[in-house]
Amino acid sequence: MIAPQPDEDLVTRILGGEEDAFSQLYDRHRQRVYSTVYRIIQDAGEAQDATQEVFVKLYRSLSDWNPSRAKFSTWLYRLAANHAIDCWRVRRRRLELPPSSASEWEVLGERPIGNGSASPLGMLEGKEVVERIRRCVEDLPDLQKKVFLLRYFQDLKLEEIADMEDCSLGTVKTSLFRATRTMRRALRRTGGPR
Amino acid sequence: MRQPVSRHYTEEELLMHFLHEETPNTAGEISSHLLECGECDAILKDYTDVVRRIQAWSIPDLADDAWRAQKAAVLAQFRQEQGIGKSRGLISVVLKSLQSTWSYALEHPLPTLGYVAIAITFAMEQTISTFRLDRILPGASEVFEILKQIL
Repeated sequence: MIAPQPDEDLVTRILGGEEDAFSQLYDRHRQRVYSTVYRIIQDAGEAQDATQEVFVKLYRSLSDWNPSRAKFSTWLYRLAANHAIDCWRVRRRRLELPPSSASEWEVLGERPIGNGSASPLGMLEGKEVVERIRRCVEDLPDLQKKVFLLRYFQDLKLEEIADMEDCSLGTVKTSLFRATRTMRRALRRTGGPR
Repeated sequence: MRQPVSRHYTEEELLMHFLHEETPNTAGEISSHLLECGECDAILKDYTDVVRRIQAWSIPDLADDAWRAQKAAVLAQFRQEQGIGKSRGLISVVLKSLQSTWSYALEHPLPTLGYVAIAITFAMEQTISTFRLDRILPGASEVFEILKQIL
């Protein structure tokens, strides 16, 4: 079996104009880019559009990526989070609406990414928890939102995030803590954590 | 330096400990403290549960057709950008050569004027003989003759 080419090699090939390399990079990261974007925008259609825009932006700014400063994935997910926050601001201004009350994947009959609760009771509880989390994420300040999503869903180290955000590790730690504490309070109101 | 048992850790320190994001030399101290302090241990367990619940947040995946359509659009954009990149490259080559010509002109004004004069004369002769400018603009040949004498 052939080992997959590292991102760095694919980037070099893309800069040389190879479409196949760009296609591979897209396949490798599309899901995680989409999930980052979705968790910020919280609308399937707009997250889909924003994901496409992220990849176009990625190509345009690929020469700006500095491998000595951040891993490619760190750089890409941050790019995705920043773009999603911009889109979310536009969407919020346009709609001026509170977050929807139903979990969209159930309405649309789409399959969920990640682990969903199996039992009906678990599903009901899970739905409520997700709703709380969604609302909290929407209200988090930008840096907290970014750190929260990049750490919990993309498994980036806080040091990597601090480097990319040009801020101190202490600031990033505090941001993550405050975001988590907000979630903790919100979840407590729904009867958890136990 | 060992932390005294009476000192409780902050919620932030406990969360960072759970995420393995604490400063390297405090990891052992916090672990030891948790064995002795039920209060801090309860807070840590609480945050562990919160993080578990957060990470269970699943999101809707796109249908295969939607992914395929998106990939096609992204690659089409890539091809388009490649084309733009090539023409941008050509423009930048032209601009670069114009820039170096301009620098030469500033450094060597007299030879440059000579070259410009030759170029204008040549261009005028070519224009008149090729397109018979005097037929379109009566008197153009006279102007041309005067200019030739001046140059």
